[in-house]
Amino acid sequence: MSVPSAPAYSADELMTVAMARELRNGDLAVTGASSLVPVAACLLAQRLHAPDLTLILPSGVVNPPPGRLYRSASDGRWVSGAEAVGTAYDLFEMSENGRLTVMFYGGIQIDRHGNVNLTATGLEPGKPPRFRGPGLANTSFAAVSGRIILFSASHTPRTFVERVDYITAAGHLDGGTSRQEAGITTDGPVLCITPLVTFGFDDGKSMQVRSIHPGVEPAEVLAKTGFPLSTETTWPVTEPPTDVELRTLRTVVDRTGELGRNTRP
Amino acid sequence: MRSRTSKLTSLQDAVALVQPGALVAIGGLWFQNNPSALVRQLIRAGVGNLEIVAAPPSSYAVDLLIGAGSVSRAYTAHVSFDHLGLAPNHRRAAETGSVEIVDCDEATVLGGLMAAVEALPHHPVTSIIGTDLARTSPLAVRRPVAELGPVAAPEAMRPDVCLLHAQEADVYGNIRYLGTPFCDPLFAKTAATVVVSVDRIVENDTVRSEPHRTTIPGYLVDAVVEAPYGAHPAASQGLYPHDEEHLAAYLAAGRSAQAWHADYLRPWVLDLHDGPGYLDAVGGPARLDRLDEVVA
Repeated sequence: MSVPSAPAYSADELMTVAMARELRNGDLAVTGASSLVPVAACLLAQRLHAPDLTLILPSGVVNPPPGRLYRSASDGRWVSGAEAVGTAYDLFEMSENGRLTVMFYGGIQIDRHGNVNLTATGLEPGKPPRFRGPGLANTSFAAVSGRIILFSASHTPRTFVERVDYITAAGHLDGGTSRQEAGITTDGPVLCITPLVTFGFDDGKSMQVRSIHPGVEPAEVLAKTGFPLSTETTWPVTEPPTDVELRTLRTVVDRTGELGRNTRP
Repeated sequence: MRSRTSKLTSLQDAVALVQPGALVAIGGLWFQNNPSALVRQLIRAGVGNLEIVAAPPSSYAVDLLIGAGSVSRAYTAHVSFDHLGLAPNHRRAAETGSVEIVDCDEATVLGGLMAAVEALPHHPVTSIIGTDLARTSPLAVRRPVAELGPVAAPEAMRPDVCLLHAQEADVYGNIRYLGTPFCDPLFAKTAATVVVSVDRIVENDTVRSEPHRTTIPGYLVDAVVEAPYGAHPAASQGLYPHDEEHLAAYLAAGRSAQAWHADYLRPWVLDLHDGPGYLDAVGGPARLDRLDEVVA
């Protein structure tokens, strides 16, 4: 009996490559906090198939150079070699005019319709929350960005819930056409990437498994997701990173190996 | 002939410009360009009952002021230590209700500041839509706007004082940032009193040789404090990164209010003065100038 060999890439590297494939040439992408994977994905996509993608960090830094990934997206060292340094006012302009085409969100809760909670859980009227989260610097980007890519480093029933306790960033709200009915004209969440799967959205705007990562058991995904998932058709397996993707990631984008430090939880 | 007035002042005298109960804007973003030395002095001076507003993403300086018990109300959006974890005092204050946290976001904070810049009572922001923040925040109160209908329109935000940290200034208050100034120029335009600490003072001739590099001109500034490494443990963009080891110790101390008071507030703020003593305690330039090599 052969022992399965360890994957030749980390969970973060797989998520980065899967996210990079979703980015398009000409995208104007903005990242938030704790966004090592989205930043790396943008830098990787620029080197592979999307040279005209513009990456804007939450500090306002435009098109930082690849090479060394800093764990904080607002790190001042991203400035060196970037193409421009914006301010809060530049981000305000984007949130009011809807200039950005793709935004990335993680959450303390993400629900089946892609709504994101970063504010608090255990809310009762007139009482302080049981758990207070960090809050969100920019809630508008969820409404005005052309599309949203969700991501989460943890895939547990506490993170992936039926309904968020508080809508900090608007996903598909109650599903169906409720997002449009609320007056929001953009696509909303199109994808969610976790260490186990990539989720897409069905016709009713509920999350369904689009692909399961190599080596992950479907039973684990079902057990760790807090809402039901369709198992009518076999879930395709996420295409592992190719040699070119992995080599570009490691030799151009992430030379110090920041994405390689985590293993699959 | 009368000579031009220097705005250079001491940390103590600068902080004396903050009155109890004032609305104070805290500059920087996350743990970048925090006015840390100014905030520590403000805590030592015992100025309390403050209302604060910060850039939509804030961190150390805001959490420190909240933990010290100096804040009664906070207009904040995101408060965290980014990839290092949640802001322990902000979280505790919200969960116990000891501080009124007014949930904001970028558009509500910037909308309020824009109204002040434009000398208007409020500034509509059409992007506040679809969320619970849009439904419940007092800053997102909807008002009729011609041809648009009801739109979230935050009231003008006019801080009494802003505390900022930049990299360079001359003694006349011409401020130069080497990275992003983020919200700081808007705070400087909207605050009644503007206090800026800088890592180094440069000659007025240096400012004049590159006038396009002045981020906040002196006419907006009331006081300049020379505070080398004055953002520590936050970063000063262009000069030094954040001190991750120090921030990790801060977060570890933050596990309880008691531990944070004993292990952080007392030794690092109340019993220590910013300046040579503080710098020695954090390893001095010999350590701080090499943070780039160890902070990922």
